[in-house]
Amino acid sequence: MKVLYSRLLEAINSKPKIEELCEDLTLIGIEVDEIKSFQGDKIIDFDLTPNRGDCFSVKGLARDYCAFKDKKFSNPLREAFKGDCKFIKKIKLSAKEGCSTYSAVSISNLNPKKKFPEKIKKTLKAAGIQSIHPLVDIVNFVMLESGQPMHVFDLEKINGDVEVRFAKPKESIKILGEKNLKLTKDCLVIADNEEPIALAGISGSLDHSVSSKTKNFLIESAYFNPSVIKGRARRYGFQTDASQRFERGVDFSIQKEALEDAINIIQDIYQADISEIETVKNKYFPINKKIKLSLNDINKKLGTSLSASYIISILNRLEIKLIKKNKSNLTFEVPSHRFDLSIKEDLIEEVARMVGYDNLPQIKAQQVSQHFEKSNYDFINTIKIFMKNKGFNEVINYSFLDKKILENLGLEKNSISLRNPLNNSLSTLRTSLLPSLATNLEFNINRGENFLKIFEIGKTFSKENPIETLSFAALIFDDEKFKNWNSNQNYDFFYLKGILENSFEELRIDRISWKKTKNDLLHPYASADIYYKNNLIGSLGSIHPKFLKKIDLKKPFHYFEVKIDLLPRNDLAKLKTPSIYPTSQRDFSFEVDKNISFEQIDDCIRESSKAFLLSSKIFDIYAGKNIPKGKKSIAFRVLWGSSKKTLSEDEINDEVKHIISGMQNKLNAILR
Amino acid sequence: MDLDALKANLNKDFLDEISADELTQLKIKYLGKKGQISELSKSIKNLPSKDRPRFGKTIGELRNLCEELITLAQEKIEINSINESLEKDRIDITLPGTFKSQGKLHPLTITTIKITDFFSSQGYLIEDGPEIESDYYNFDALNIPKDHPARDMHDTFYLENENLLRTHTSPVQIRSIEKRGAPLKIICPGKVYRSDADKTHTPMFHQIEGLVISENINFGHLKDEIMTFIDYLFGSDTKVRFRPSYFPFTEPSAEVDIMDKSTKKWLEIMGCGLVHPNVIDMAGLDSKKYSGFAFGMGIERMAKLLYELEDMRFLFNNDIKFLSQ
Repeated sequence: MKVLYSRLLEAINSKPKIEELCEDLTLIGIEVDEIKSFQGDKIIDFDLTPNRGDCFSVKGLARDYCAFKDKKFSNPLREAFKGDCKFIKKIKLSAKEGCSTYSAVSISNLNPKKKFPEKIKKTLKAAGIQSIHPLVDIVNFVMLESGQPMHVFDLEKINGDVEVRFAKPKESIKILGEKNLKLTKDCLVIADNEEPIALAGISGSLDHSVSSKTKNFLIESAYFNPSVIKGRARRYGFQTDASQRFERGVDFSIQKEALEDAINIIQDIYQADISEIETVKNKYFPINKKIKLSLNDINKKLGTSLSASYIISILNRLEIKLIKKNKSNLTFEVPSHRFDLSIKEDLIEEVARMVGYDNLPQIKAQQVSQHFEKSNYDFINTIKIFMKNKGFNEVINYSFLDKKILENLGLEKNSISLRNPLNNSLSTLRTSLLPSLATNLEFNINRGENFLKIFEIGKTFSKENPIETLSFAALIFDDEKFKNWNSNQNYDFFYLKGILENSFEELRIDRISWKKTKNDLLHPYASADIYYKNNLIGSLGSIHPKFLKKIDLKKPFHYFEVKIDLLPRNDLAKLKTPSIYPTSQRDFSFEVDKNISFEQIDDCIRESSKAFLLSSKIFDIYAGKNIPKGKKSIAFRVLWGSSKKTLSEDEINDEVKHIISGMQNKLNAILR
Repeated sequence: MDLDALKANLNKDFLDEISADELTQLKIKYLGKKGQISELSKSIKNLPSKDRPRFGKTIGELRNLCEELITLAQEKIEINSINESLEKDRIDITLPGTFKSQGKLHPLTITTIKITDFFSSQGYLIEDGPEIESDYYNFDALNIPKDHPARDMHDTFYLENENLLRTHTSPVQIRSIEKRGAPLKIICPGKVYRSDADKTHTPMFHQIEGLVISENINFGHLKDEIMTFIDYLFGSDTKVRFRPSYFPFTEPSAEVDIMDKSTKKWLEIMGCGLVHPNVIDMAGLDSKKYSGFAFGMGIERMAKLLYELEDMRFLFNNDIKFLSQ
């Protein structure tokens, strides 16, 4: 809300510097967003919190300021207005609590006596309110000063009497700004005998609004309950100065005085025939809320030891009056402008505000005893730090992206779309981390990078359960012609597989298996699916060349993506004592058919030599010169040992024989 | 042979640097079967018996001297040979190490860890929760009923179904109370979403939310926790102020500002307050028995302050030149 510095000074009846004024207001919770120079004055733009409807006016701000500074704040005295004639329309309040008081006045024969005041024009302009019609400008000025929104109707366009009621089925209203709104039965309207003439507390109808041709006017000043205004304008996608105030709560005691203020200004500028003020109230007119609390309630919550008399006096400054006091409790009455005060805690905050938050004590809390367990967060950070140490840079991408990117990769299945995306490029929740990482790759290639190692841990989303999956993905791209001077590292499938295997080791996870991929995104013969205890948890490999063009890339890259919430959070493993007896090792080199996999050979060795086997490691693989076509040579180092004894030469030789015969029988392998 | 002449020859022979081959020859020359010292020893029997002990003693001394000279020469040869082989191993130590590639964590992750490290040390449990939330957990359970003007403070992204992307990490408060009951002391970092985007706002950002529920929690406890945290994160010379604010889920509510050390301007860094009794009751606890405090901060804002980062957009465009610093 934008307010002129000069208007505030007038209302507080003193002249603090603007910085001091803003500082004090900030300290009582009225935040200043910006101060701007304006026509020799200053505009202060306040960032009001939605609870403080009472501060939505110059008067409201001044009242709170004066309470804090312990200065007297007084309403200007008004002479009761007596009209020239009777108000001719009947006003009917049919919406119970929705509208419990309504004041109106009719005006005709408007003739200017003097120039329209610059002060009003300037105030409206500073507040960002367009000048529409002199009378509308005047009621808007009074709204900015007092907080009471008012509406001016063209009296002649009102057919019959005025009724405040809820909308009837199929009713609609065309409001200012040419919008035609279909009304629902919880919309409060002002209606004449035929149709709604205003969406109550929000906007008038275009057909009943005033123009330069209007001769007879009706000015409305009513109290609309926040419960019937809240959210209504937002539902139609707009807000007005009136709706913002009514939904936060407008003081229900000021309707008539605000109207009088408007009339005073009108009479000052115009010669006019003004009716007496018609005020209607129904039995639902609100009463001031009462809050009961004890001195202990306050001091216990604030950690203070304030006295009852001090509390009573500071609340009194806020017009929160003590109405009853006994041994244990104080009962206060909340003034009609404070909609935000209804429970003990609300009053405790008022006490704190007036004392000043910075003056409240600082107290060490007692230890809270609760059950501790390893968090998901620790698990994720273990992986992040592992990846960082392996030379990968962490990226963080938006969870939403362009649906087209998903479609291009065939990943749009079960994707969730946003109903109100910021734009199309952020319209759909990602189903995989791949598109994000590929986009990062493209971005960095375009900026001259030809080597990239990145990873991300984040949620992916699906319409089907699980709706959210925590995924871990990494991408590696190597197009560098310039190699490290001292190493010939290939950033290929096996490099990335090693990274992932090492990370599983770091997390103490075994029972991982690798199978030929069924993932269409990947190269069918150079990629793998990853299983944990027979559950598919992800894939690793090089991107299928057919997708490259679709994601604007020319060269392939390797990546993996693993669903990490399917992995166990393993605790520390037991440490085993190493055997005191020596181990024995033998190297084997077999010639096998080239289609036989490492896994087949490894399994065969482990099955053939069950006794004393500690490990079997591949150390060479070769095809070419000296090896027949269609064959390959594969070399292993096998290690045996026992925790009970030193193995004899005979025992080792038996194991060697088992392996050689096993390999011969099962895999047709020849020992070289 | 004259004993003195032999001693003089011996000393002379070992005077210069000796190669391994020369040493072998010298060993034979003096100590071999027919070596000069050995020959002298044999000649001892030809002497009169009264002269024998003195002669024998002198020969013994000569033999010791010779052996000593041989050992010294031997050591010298070994050292020379090591020095020679070291020379062959000479490298250019200014060349870069082989495994030079070291990755970096994202600045937001580092900032988050910095913050959670503090709260972990203070006994907070680190919790997380879903990013797709229901209206109930994101709003209703936090005392923000439908049509509440506070919903204007949250520009919410709605999804195809009735769900939404959480606008704050506060729903985790409710889920944790429901799951763990009281007393409770948790911190929850995570992604949140709001539909606005400009220089200082991105549609996705990160928050950290803290919640303590116990008996007799008061505003002083909240202040102490926040002050200790600011002391840790920004230094003990940081000027801090608490000012009233409004969050539907806390009452009283406060914003915390710190004074920027260079511009001398107040910077808003976090919101906090005592948990609203409605929130405690709705989560299934008794607000007459339990009270609590909660606080929340934007991680981007903290990263901006800690890294003196000017442009927030770099946090999400994943430029490797930025990330690998």
